[in-house]
Amino acid sequence: MTCWRFRLRRMFVAYLEGQVAPSEARRVEDHLLDCASCRALLLQLRAAHQMAKGLRDFPPASGPPGFDPLLACVETPPVASQWLRLWWETSLDRLATPRVVEVLALVIIVQLGLLAFSNRSVLLGAGHTFTVKPASLNLSEFRRLSISDLKTNTQPHVSTDGYVREVHADHEEGTVQFKLVQDPQDSGPFVVCEIIGDQTPIPRAGSHVRVYGVARYDGQTDRQWYEVNPVLSIIPTNR
Amino acid sequence: MVAARSGDARALRSVYEGYRDRVWNLVAYSVPDHHQAQDVLQTVFLKVFRGLKEFRMKSSLATWIYRIAYNECQEYHRRHRTPHVPLEAILGTENEKDARPHAEDQRRRQEQQLIVQRALMQLSLKLRVVIVLKYVEGLSYQEISRVLGCAPGTVASRLNRGLAELEERLRPFRGIL
Repeated sequence: MTCWRFRLRRMFVAYLEGQVAPSEARRVEDHLLDCASCRALLLQLRAAHQMAKGLRDFPPASGPPGFDPLLACVETPPVASQWLRLWWETSLDRLATPRVVEVLALVIIVQLGLLAFSNRSVLLGAGHTFTVKPASLNLSEFRRLSISDLKTNTQPHVSTDGYVREVHADHEEGTVQFKLVQDPQDSGPFVVCEIIGDQTPIPRAGSHVRVYGVARYDGQTDRQWYEVNPVLSIIPTNR
Repeated sequence: MVAARSGDARALRSVYEGYRDRVWNLVAYSVPDHHQAQDVLQTVFLKVFRGLKEFRMKSSLATWIYRIAYNECQEYHRRHRTPHVPLEAILGTENEKDARPHAEDQRRRQEQQLIVQRALMQLSLKLRVVIVLKYVEGLSYQEISRVLGCAPGTVASRLNRGLAELEERLRPFRGIL
């Protein structure tokens, strides 16, 4: 199974270059002990990294032209095709007035709103069932656990049930985080869940769902919260 | 900068000579044909010279020029969809290669790098550009993200994908690299 710990995998090249903090390096190494897929990727990256490092010593065989031909273009009128292109680009600049940009932005926002409504409201509305999962994902491989069982779990792929609370979207990172609790009134253990990308629908706060994803076990037993990151699939359950 | 903005030929020349090699690396790795690469380079600098008046120094001049170059390379690719040629078809497989020992290490390294360069040229422009900006130009993730207009995390993902694909393409030549 492919490892879904994208954030960790993104660090691999920096890790190879020794440019990650010691704590991050330890996280990478701890993960590598358990994950054959990431070990294979790291070996692949290391081989390519070594080969790519040599690219700097051997620039492309032919060099760039001198300045004089360019100077001729700067000082003399451009040829017809260049005139046409310059005219087109200048026209675009002229069209892009604040008013036009405002109207376009409004149209785009309305379109996006309609798109989100048509996709998500159907998926998340009360009484509707949704299951969005990558084609290769086999949900039966996930170990089903209660939230409190996550404390001692060391299996990477788990599923757990609970109520959704505090949904936060980070548009810059393209992630959505939410809390999963056993009982909406309960202040007991909870799970911090993170959705990466737009393949998994965002659950509604207050709904009861089953979350499938990668559990992060860090051996710390003195706290009441756990992590499922990334969430790979969410299925609503009727409560 | 002031003189270059006013169109002074000597100042423009110094901008060109200061940045042409760096831009050339990016353009030459993006546009396979040498003559077309020269045309693209020329268009990039024509746009740079035209845009200097409006350049507000919000980003570094190098990042701004790289960005224009990257956009121009993308534009070139949109206009000229290059057919995919498998690397093995160009270089032959490991078994077919000349097994005679190389006289000079330098020459052998050059040949190895040529293989790597050609494999690099097989990647999609998005992945190739990240590798060129990182390994040839030595830009940081942050700088690359500014040139490409994407998040540093996206740069790291593309770098992973690009290197993994490069390794796959070079695997048949592992014995000689």
